[in-house]
Amino acid sequence: MAIKPETRLCAVTFFAKLHPGDVCGSNGLPLTPNSIAILGRAQRLKELQDEHLCQYLDVIRGKHERTIVVSEYVGCSLEEHVKRHPPLSLAQILRIFYQVACGINVLSQHHLVAHNLEPKNILIAPDGRLKLFNYGLYFMTKGGAYVPFPVGNIRYMAPERLLGLNGNVKSDVWALAMLVAELVLGLQLWPKLKISNVVRKVLAFARSNNVLEKIAREHQCFEVYQNMDAGLRQLLEKCLHASPGQRPLPRELLANKCFADILQAEQEQEKAKEDESKQQLESHLPPLPLLLRCPLSQIYHLWQLAGGDVQAELKKEGLIRSEAPILGLPQIVRLNGASVCPTRSQSHLMDDRVVPLKLQALLQRLSQLPACVYFPLLHSPRFTSQHQQFVLELQQLPLVIRERDIEYQFHRVRLFARLLQAYPYTAELLQREAAIDIPPLLRGAVWAALLEVVPNSGYGKIDKFTPTSTDRQIEVDIPRCHQYDELLSSPDGHRKLRRLLKAWVTAHPQYVYWQGLDSLTAPFLYLNFNNEELAFLSLFRFIPKYLHWFFLKDNSAIIKEYLSKFSQLTAFHEPLLAQHLSSISFIPELFAIPWFLTMFSHVFPLHKILHLWDKLMLGDSSYPLFIGIAILRQLRSTLLDSGFNECILLFSDLPDIVMETCVIESQKMYEATPKSITHRQHALRSQPPQSLDIGLTDVELKHLQLEQCPRISAKDVQHLLLHSPDDLALIDLRSVVDYGHVHVPHSINIPFATVQLGEQRLEALNVPHLEAQLRGRIVVCVSVIHQNAVEFSHFLVACGVQRTCILHKGFNVLHSIEPNILISN
Amino acid sequence: MDSTATRTVTFVYNYKDHENKDCVAQLDIKFPFDQENLEECLTLLLNQMDPMMRDLDENINLENHLQDFVDTEHQKFLDDYAEKLIGQAANEELDLEAIVRDTERLYKDELLQFADRVGPRDEDIFAQSFHRLVHSSSLEEILKRERAYAKVIAGMTEHMDSEVETLNTSQQQEMDSQINQLDITTTSEDINNLLAQQYTTQNFVRKRYESELEAKMGHQKNEYRDWITSQVSQMFQVSPVATPLGNRSSMFVSQQPSMEESFTIHLGSQLKHMHNIRILSANVTELCSPLHAEESLNGLNMALGLYSSSLCGVVVLTPSIQAEANKNIIKNANRSTEFHFEQIDVQLEKIEKQIRSLSTTDSNSTPSTASSNSSAEGSATPSPTKKHVPRLKTGDFFITKHSNLSQSHVIFHLISDEPINSPSEINSRHPVILGLRNILKTASRHDITTLTIPALLRHEMSEDMTVQWCIRRAELVFKCAKGFMIESASWGGAELSTLQLLLPDDISESLFTTLAGMVPSVFHVANPKILVDTSSKS
Repeated sequence: MAIKPETRLCAVTFFAKLHPGDVCGSNGLPLTPNSIAILGRAQRLKELQDEHLCQYLDVIRGKHERTIVVSEYVGCSLEEHVKRHPPLSLAQILRIFYQVACGINVLSQHHLVAHNLEPKNILIAPDGRLKLFNYGLYFMTKGGAYVPFPVGNIRYMAPERLLGLNGNVKSDVWALAMLVAELVLGLQLWPKLKISNVVRKVLAFARSNNVLEKIAREHQCFEVYQNMDAGLRQLLEKCLHASPGQRPLPRELLANKCFADILQAEQEQEKAKEDESKQQLESHLPPLPLLLRCPLSQIYHLWQLAGGDVQAELKKEGLIRSEAPILGLPQIVRLNGASVCPTRSQSHLMDDRVVPLKLQALLQRLSQLPACVYFPLLHSPRFTSQHQQFVLELQQLPLVIRERDIEYQFHRVRLFARLLQAYPYTAELLQREAAIDIPPLLRGAVWAALLEVVPNSGYGKIDKFTPTSTDRQIEVDIPRCHQYDELLSSPDGHRKLRRLLKAWVTAHPQYVYWQGLDSLTAPFLYLNFNNEELAFLSLFRFIPKYLHWFFLKDNSAIIKEYLSKFSQLTAFHEPLLAQHLSSISFIPELFAIPWFLTMFSHVFPLHKILHLWDKLMLGDSSYPLFIGIAILRQLRSTLLDSGFNECILLFSDLPDIVMETCVIESQKMYEATPKSITHRQHALRSQPPQSLDIGLTDVELKHLQLEQCPRISAKDVQHLLLHSPDDLALIDLRSVVDYGHVHVPHSINIPFATVQLGEQRLEALNVPHLEAQLRGRIVVCVSVIHQNAVEFSHFLVACGVQRTCILHKGFNVLHSIEPNILISN
Repeated sequence: MDSTATRTVTFVYNYKDHENKDCVAQLDIKFPFDQENLEECLTLLLNQMDPMMRDLDENINLENHLQDFVDTEHQKFLDDYAEKLIGQAANEELDLEAIVRDTERLYKDELLQFADRVGPRDEDIFAQSFHRLVHSSSLEEILKRERAYAKVIAGMTEHMDSEVETLNTSQQQEMDSQINQLDITTTSEDINNLLAQQYTTQNFVRKRYESELEAKMGHQKNEYRDWITSQVSQMFQVSPVATPLGNRSSMFVSQQPSMEESFTIHLGSQLKHMHNIRILSANVTELCSPLHAEESLNGLNMALGLYSSSLCGVVVLTPSIQAEANKNIIKNANRSTEFHFEQIDVQLEKIEKQIRSLSTTDSNSTPSTASSNSSAEGSATPSPTKKHVPRLKTGDFFITKHSNLSQSHVIFHLISDEPINSPSEINSRHPVILGLRNILKTASRHDITTLTIPALLRHEMSEDMTVQWCIRRAELVFKCAKGFMIESASWGGAELSTLQLLLPDDISESLFTTLAGMVPSVFHVANPKILVDTSSKS
């Protein structure tokens, strides 16, 4: 299959090894499938970015242990190149030698070995640059342990590898020298030999003093060997020394004087190229599509959004063959898992073909966009084009649609990428854009920015290994934390989660590990799998913001206050539901602790948490309470019909919640609730309270538990009066005389002494049109005697009046407001 | 690599502490070194130092030194080790031929590039052709043909049955009359002779029909397969018209079992997977009744699903006496020609042969690689079995494949001696339950998405099965099935879309209701979504 030169992405596929029979790991849990282990290990490879390496982009797990690896692809393979342009000049060969050695060197700096070096896995870009391809196979399969097939081409395999010693970078040096020898001698090694004989030949090198000479003699080109450039010959002979100890390391290889000329030539070329690109700008040659100047990870992401399906592409090339599953059924399966199967078909064998992923459609789709979308200008509003209109229109659509719209995501990804580059200077802009939505591709970094994380390399200093008393609990929790997710269930995911949790515990001597911290950490690890520090710092900032003091060894006071506030807010927004729940004694302690302690990350799957937290990150510490109410609201009809037992059963395994509605509802409530209503003593505060706010220690837990309705501060009442009087209904409970003396304009006077609260109907109050006056407003009960206001507010809740609250400190506090808001008759 | 080949080297780190005193930290490091352990070593070294040193950023310097040390030593270790190996190889201390052999096998068995290419098997080609054809406008024609073929076979079988029946009666009469004449005109020897003669006649008649049937079936099968192949090549000439039909085989159930109830459940703690649960009471042979016995939609469904990735399977319990399937099912399967697989008798015969070879290899305690492949790796440590007992044990199962039964492509014959004995108590570690787990695992690996399991692990009710026992047993099976289904999410295979819990057909209605009532509580049935117009509220 021909790969066109403009190909940028490609995929290869293989099957991971099946676990034989039925085995459990040392912890008694079922073994992780090998494909998951591969997926976890391969994540690290995505981080490698070097001009001599093809970037890894994605690892996908198919059905039945199939693993698909998506990576960069450029130009054509060395194998094809040699076929197309024989023979190569000495300079060209040296360039290939040098650049591949560079690639190996980079790998060894990252403590990796390729072990599958062969002409097929070396790519030559049209500009002559070489890149190693598929170099991560040995690493991601843990030295081949996770796959049934051997890694590496036998012809280029160093003898010690055949003897069973893997992992030595010098085996790669051997392979490189072998393929350079092929080029220099202008031959193909043992083209017609059977595998067994090739193995014998390679093993025989172990006894040979001069491998290169031997090869030359065997292939009847001793003359070429003799006429070879002496420096190169010496170098090759050294690299092909039977004993790896004598072979040079990649960095020693690069320093060889053979390459001096190449280096110089390369530098000159570099300079020439720069000039050329300048010229190109001036001339009117068709320039590279703008899209190809974007990072490959973005291109791949967009390709997927544009309907790209790797599995379908592989199917088209016949790499995923669908065989009727009924034909592969075993005939007998024993209790121990042993089975008798029909002979395996060859579709399960390793097929190393490379399948290009076509970018044409994507390029076409995005080619119409102006350059300012590709490279948005943040501070020059006059450059925003008519495309802004398109973006605004799309923002009316549901989030799910926006996240799948390629053009919209392209806008967002480019914009956020730019904003992130300039972070922390763009923090405010980021906050504003994130309020609209967050592009999934960059979510990890955006969240970190919203949490005001600034990496400071402190994570490296934290002790993550010294055993502590919490280790046992962590060990138990990790294999149960979001294990449906492939990343988090991989051994690498477990290891990283353990490190993060231990680091957090070490970094917070004042706190303890509470079960649930694992779930709380999971989303951050999931989003920043390759950047533990960012995950850690995000968590580090997240917890004080939303869960201040929650992880104290004795956190009962904090939890109690939180849940009491939750009850109050439920009564505030859902009075009837709150009434019902309290009447059947279904208190939040029975169901809501895991909700809040894990910020819902224990009750929802990751994809839902991500959308939920997108909004959570923008709100303050009270936002989670509204999410809780939104969940209750979604289940309202079921809950209202249920007794205590049904409720317990319902919440023991939370039913499917529609996240989009939940997010929208919670946001609405969050915005419609004055800040003082959510006042908690234990919340983290950025500013000290002012005189009209609710004071730090004003409201004690016993108040919270006694009062069904929350208190509102005079400041918020004043604000409402001044800015949105239509949202406020003030019920003045003082006597008619006092009311006549001085009162708040448009307030309703219901003297507490005159009302009968026995009958729970609004009509019983005998105030005309009361219900209409209260509907849709924030109802503030004001009295001089606090207890009266409390009792009256309870009555209103029982009547189903929404948004009832009590004025903190009673009527007299209103006197102190400057300028005066009170009037008298 | 030889796991014993390791080497320990001590890393010594000299540094000046915050008071400018010379200090030393040291650590024994084992080689070969795994880079993942670097940070742990670093921590161990840092812990030997004053905590102050972390704040002085000494860790950075230490890390650099440690990394250099580890890199050098690791390289040295590998080189030395290789030197030793190469030396051994050169002196022929290693079995190089074994290496050559193993390497060659590995490359040939696992890499397509080196494998001896074999073309696709006939059955694969036929499977593909059929699958394509069945999703085209030819579907109706196929079914028509199959029905016609089935009619012939059914006719023949009926004919055979009735003739055997008549023969039986006439022989019986003859025998009766002879017996009445016993000691009058006939001797017991005569009777014995007659018996022998009758037996031979009957055998002869049966054999004749059987061979006739076999010939007919063989003939039908050939004709049918030829026809399918010719249809496919024709179809390539004209443009294929695909029917928009899916291949969800369980869409229609034609035979209404006496009682049934369906549920939709969500399993999983955070991410929920949806499954359907159907509890029904029926005779297991009803689920494996002849496909073309009546005009029904099932023929269509079964044909569409046959080579798809949503197969239907049924678990049938069978005693361990021998690899012997349920007689009625065999009879049903023989009511028409099996066009796609071998006739059930042949399948069973082959399985029996496999069991025998399995047992012999078991007793020789060698892995049964002769007849199996990589999936038999688990048998490397065969469970100790009694010698020369060529039979499967409780919890093992064998599989037969069918295209001519009404609701099952695949039958799992699960060995269980339990029903023979009086009702007993079993727990979740009982072999039958573990066998059930293996069945679910096999189902997941081979795309069986509809599976029927006997919910009481019995096919018939008996006197001694009390209501209490039934409830306990059903609860055990329900809970285990639920556990296995949750577990199956991580197996990476096909998801079970429908689990059918089969109760005996002679179960009482009240017991059925009781057991069906347990399903929602055990499986946590999904709450109905009630759409409420919220625009007027809140």
